[in-house]
Amino acid sequence: MTRVARRGYAGALLLLVALLAVALVISAGAGAFTFTPAKMWSYLAQGAGWSPSVERDALGRNVFLQLRLPRVLLSALTGAVLGVSGTIMQGLFRNPIVEPGLAGTSAGAALGASLVFVLGGTSAFAAPLGSLAVPLMAFAGAFAATMLVYRVSATFGKVNVFTLLLAGIAVNAVCGAGTGFLSYVARDPQARNITFWNLGTFTTADWRGVIVVAVTFTVCFALTLRDARALNALMLGEDEAALLGMDPQRLIIRLLVLNTLMVATATAMVGVIAFVGLVVPHVLRMLKSSDYAFLLPASALLGALAMVVVDVAARLIIPPAELPVGIITAVIGAPVFLWILMLQQRRGSAGYYG
Amino acid sequence: MDKRDHAGMSSAADLAGVVLSRVGWVAGGTRILDDVSVRFRSGQFNVVLGPNGAGKSTLLRVATGLVHPSAGSVTYDGEPLSAFDPQRLARVRAVLSQHVELAFPLPVRDVAMMGRYPHFRRVPTPRDREIVDASLALVGMSDRAAQPYSTLSGGEQQKVQLARVLAQIWTDDAGPDAAQSRFLFLDEPTSSLDVHYQLHLLDVARGLLEARCTVVAILHDLNVALRYADHVVLLDGGRVAWNGERSEEIPLSVLERVFRVKARRVGGAGDEGSLLQFTL
Repeated sequence: MTRVARRGYAGALLLLVALLAVALVISAGAGAFTFTPAKMWSYLAQGAGWSPSVERDALGRNVFLQLRLPRVLLSALTGAVLGVSGTIMQGLFRNPIVEPGLAGTSAGAALGASLVFVLGGTSAFAAPLGSLAVPLMAFAGAFAATMLVYRVSATFGKVNVFTLLLAGIAVNAVCGAGTGFLSYVARDPQARNITFWNLGTFTTADWRGVIVVAVTFTVCFALTLRDARALNALMLGEDEAALLGMDPQRLIIRLLVLNTLMVATATAMVGVIAFVGLVVPHVLRMLKSSDYAFLLPASALLGALAMVVVDVAARLIIPPAELPVGIITAVIGAPVFLWILMLQQRRGSAGYYG
Repeated sequence: MDKRDHAGMSSAADLAGVVLSRVGWVAGGTRILDDVSVRFRSGQFNVVLGPNGAGKSTLLRVATGLVHPSAGSVTYDGEPLSAFDPQRLARVRAVLSQHVELAFPLPVRDVAMMGRYPHFRRVPTPRDREIVDASLALVGMSDRAAQPYSTLSGGEQQKVQLARVLAQIWTDDAGPDAAQSRFLFLDEPTSSLDVHYQLHLLDVARGLLEARCTVVAILHDLNVALRYADHVVLLDGGRVAWNGERSEEIPLSVLERVFRVKARRVGGAGDEGSLLQFTL
């Protein structure tokens, strides 16, 4: 909070912006079709109508503008959502091992969304909701799952870590079973693709998805930023935050709603991607500070950066096939999770960062 | 109370400080506080004593506004607690709890700065920084300001929390509440501290009394309590068992009954030197 620290925050954020920009360009150029930055620029100019379309380039242009670009942007947005979500949830649960994949949020969202995909088109409840049915049902599922885990693990305002993990396992199992069953009985081959829900993928990215996630993220993130100070105060505990003039109960509900809204929307588009929300805030806390005024924007940037890099790897590791991104995030994230758990065991539940 | 002789001042002076009138608190069908009326005077070091389960913590939660009493009322300088909005209350009332742990790494200065959260909107003003530096200096933690809070010992962490609380109700703050008196509550602040830190912390709290501050402390060590107290409230079973200004006058029979021990005074006769000794 000091002036020096603030300058340090700005430097770190600028560095993350620069790295993200580089990663976006590399990701947009890599894959089955490769594009040079000059080519990308000319396609962008043609797409925007600044320069006349070149007909012999139509295939490359369409691949870039209709497939590659939305995919890159959706991966960045999803990473930002998951990074910020991990930061919010760790702040609310006051524990560094919480993230949407573990606390049931993502699985609940996947179940809600798959309900619409499999049954929704014909069922009476989803039809009037139209194109909002998927995000709305994803939100309902995610919110119910998160609240259930929170209520079970929080007694007297203090979250018990092991209860949290066990409740998360149970809720994830139930939601996973529900999603699996729906995929099994589904007639639509798209909806039968169970790996989509469990491991996450960006192959289905389109501009509609980009816009929906971008709008949701921007609104939720802007509202969350206003509570950065309250999240700091919550580090001291709910009573201490109340004594500093905050209303912790309303803060928790407000942030859980915003967080769930972001995660549900992203999950409805790309499926469940675990561990990003866990690792990103952890790295930032170790490197810099837990001041949420820094942590929230930084976790959006680092989350986006990480997800873009993972998506490039998913496209390049076994060409021409693609690895589901969730496999890569799990391979990197699960060991980090186990490591944090071991540190926590060794040093007691608090203060292990020292 | 030297203002008594000024006509019209007496009523205001009588209301200065924290007044609980006929406060009751019921939780799960059990009466935790039963018709408690006490007055914690401004400029005094008020100590609340009592055995485990006597209702001390509940009394503090009611008196600080964390919970609304199920019966009765609380006033600060005559103004009902319910009339304060949370932000304004947070600028004049602070609570030091037993032990605050942080699950995440944060520099000591950032922790102390949280005390200024009720005072600034987005970014701390230079004045907020000055106050945080001054409060860290007051508790002797200036040289640790940049260190992570979690690396400090329990006693040092409690000093930082005291600095945060002092910054919250900083008395020569020229802010909008400059004319308001301050209210400091200490909830068993010394239970995890060694004797040096205990006395240091209580001395700092005593030092605030000159600046129109009301201090209310729950303490466990009866000898420490009686040494610092200007006013003692002894709670037992949710009721006031003894209430008075001359702590050395608490009858031994009352202490023996409330704490279920045998008590005797040793050392100087009723004077500062005397200590209480307890056996089962």
